[in-house]
Amino acid sequence: MAILIERRDPLTQAQGVEAGYAQSARRWPGQPLALRPHTPSELSGPEIRRCLPQVRGDLAGYGAKRALGQLIRLRVRVVDEDGAPLPGTVVEAWHCNAAGKYIHPNDTHDAPVDPNFYGAARLVAGDSGLAELRTIKPGAYPVPDTSGWWRPPHVHFSVWGRVWLSRLVTQMFFPGEPLNDSDVILNAIRDPEARGRCIARLVPSRTSELVYEYQLVVRGRRASPGMP
Amino acid sequence: MTRRGVSHLVPTAEMTLGPFFPREFAEGVNDLSRGVAGEAIEISGRVVELDGRPLDNLILEIWQADGAGRLENPDFSGWGRAATDAQGNYLFRTIRPGAIPGRAPHINFLILYSGLMRQLQTVMFFESSDDPVLQAVEQARRGRLVAQKINSTSYRFDIRLRGGEETPFFDD
Repeated sequence: MAILIERRDPLTQAQGVEAGYAQSARRWPGQPLALRPHTPSELSGPEIRRCLPQVRGDLAGYGAKRALGQLIRLRVRVVDEDGAPLPGTVVEAWHCNAAGKYIHPNDTHDAPVDPNFYGAARLVAGDSGLAELRTIKPGAYPVPDTSGWWRPPHVHFSVWGRVWLSRLVTQMFFPGEPLNDSDVILNAIRDPEARGRCIARLVPSRTSELVYEYQLVVRGRRASPGMP
Repeated sequence: MTRRGVSHLVPTAEMTLGPFFPREFAEGVNDLSRGVAGEAIEISGRVVELDGRPLDNLILEIWQADGAGRLENPDFSGWGRAATDAQGNYLFRTIRPGAIPGRAPHINFLILYSGLMRQLQTVMFFESSDDPVLQAVEQARRGRLVAQKINSTSYRFDIRLRGGEETPFFDD
């Protein structure tokens, strides 16, 4: 299947250096990025399931081992630009605990660690491109060395599409969070509709979990005959 | 959105990896060479930001052809991931890729990190050539994409995200 990758749209993708995020000015290249031809090397990719096995499908736990916080279920669907699902793709997810603390040696935030919460899962999408994660809602936390920037609750996602250039690493946000309006990372996406699509949708639930639906669209669509 | 009458979804906005990518996700996946036919090599390097400061827990992912230049080989995944240590150093063990038709031997690199609002892409070559992707970089900077040969099985590929002698990166 021939896959076509189109240039990033500056309205729907962040552009590099972002005021209010000092590290971006130390790390994003100062020279313009080079445009290259797309050859089979970029338009092919790994069979990622072979490389990365599933690790934990549930971060919330049960009974005495249950993590603190609001139980949630994330229904994440991975599709390409044609809307075609990507069954078998790998979805990595990680987030902080309900108090805003990551299980990571580099997290210096003074918030409690939850002994029953680990915070990292790797899932393999099913037939309809769907991956489900049962977890707890992450908390907000302040970003060190900034003047009052708080990260809103968010979940990090890393997924693979059909080809090397389809790789997607992003963050998912929760609806109705006041901190969404001032988050430097979410608001680096200039187009309000594209930004809105980074916020999960709360759907009715009759279980003990709040259910959110979210769609991840990876780059790439099928090149059809007659298309330039 | 419709484009030429075909249903079309806009790709999800990329966002930064952040500083807390789980360490375990980068463990045990930097060796592509195990049990694979080909010329085993090591690629190591250091990743730095402006002013040469090394970057810790930065994620590098690679994608390459097998020793015969094939992109599909059931015995060779072609993909690997490594994280930098506190000194900014990373290491991959792999096999030397063969030439894909029309391309010089190369390894695709993807870089993810806090402060990078989206992924960065670059390419490591083994020698200077008329490869069309290498030629897409301005001549004076092409040498930065050619790995330094340390010995017959080791290569060094340092990456500078920003500043003097900055590594060339690609947009797609």
